[in-house]
Amino acid sequence: MADKPLSRFHQPIQIPGRRLLHHIHLRFVRNKVLGHGARAVNAEIPLIPFIDFLLCIVLFLLASFSATGELPIDKSIKLPNAENVIDMTEAPMVAITGTQILVDGNPAGSTRVIEEANRLQRVEELFNILKNKRELWKQLNPAKEFPGVIVLQVDRKVQALVVKSVFQTSAYAGYPNVSFMVGRLGK
Amino acid sequence: MAGIDTGGGHGKRPTNHEIPLIPFIDFLLCLVAFLLVTAVWSQMARINADARVPGPPQPDEPKDPPKEKQLHVEMKGETKFQLVWKEGTTVVNTIDIEKKPVPAGEGGDIRYPDLAKKIVDEWTANGSHRAASDVKLDQAVLHTDNSTPFSDVIAVIDAIYTPKRDLTWSGKTEKVPAFNVTFSVN
Repeated sequence: MADKPLSRFHQPIQIPGRRLLHHIHLRFVRNKVLGHGARAVNAEIPLIPFIDFLLCIVLFLLASFSATGELPIDKSIKLPNAENVIDMTEAPMVAITGTQILVDGNPAGSTRVIEEANRLQRVEELFNILKNKRELWKQLNPAKEFPGVIVLQVDRKVQALVVKSVFQTSAYAGYPNVSFMVGRLGK
Repeated sequence: MAGIDTGGGHGKRPTNHEIPLIPFIDFLLCLVAFLLVTAVWSQMARINADARVPGPPQPDEPKDPPKEKQLHVEMKGETKFQLVWKEGTTVVNTIDIEKKPVPAGEGGDIRYPDLAKKIVDEWTANGSHRAASDVKLDQAVLHTDNSTPFSDVIAVIDAIYTPKRDLTWSGKTEKVPAFNVTFSVN
């Protein structure tokens, strides 16, 4: 464009073109700085959006992080599975293994006593622990209504008599809303 | 690279700083890897059994409410279940269903699809609380043998929870089990 005359008559005044950096001797550098080079082979990685993305992941994982594991299950308990289930809730955990009854991991009675008696009965140790827990909750939350929710982790082989005894004991201790922890079975 | 430019730089010490982004990204990646490895991906759920019969106390409930129909599920028989509709102590209807356990999953669990289907039919025909605005649930009472293993009890409770209905609560409508299950203590 700059070399083409504006008319058939020679004109000393021409349209100015690029003049800067024409003196550079290295051709590939001159081409580059004048804008005639090919596509750049070095690409910039967009680091800032990448860091934003990583930070979002970190924040999400930190929010859902639990140092102790969310649902401690006694290793000797094999839970049954069910289809029509609801999501877990935070509540005191009563575990019933083959021989023991545990409240949040602490011993609270024996299943053998119930099995040997062969009748429905209140488990006194469990009753006292749960009653104390309930009273403590009420002292800590005087303005709130006590939810009365308890979760039972019961081994799949435990007899129904033991389950019913613990169920009844929980209800007597002020926890009538009993849930059984189960695995989620696909429909 | 990211940097902090204060516009100065004429003094002895440089005032422009480069933030070391690469170590920062490495640190973040390590943190992500650690958190992913230690994350608890829980598959646990719960199945409810309420000892408050006939359901949670209602503020506007009359003192002497009429007796409602309850579905008693008898699982003491060796070969069959028995569904009994009762009004108080009066037996309204009795239905026998053959025990046909179907294996489910890999852990040796069983299901009772025939029992579940019959309970759905029975609730559709005889259920008392079906309106979405009705916060009360129909009551099911489970009768088990003392020696029945817990996995069988859960299979039957699972079948009782099969019928679902709409429940409108605080302006939101959601599907809930039609029955509230409790145990017979006799």
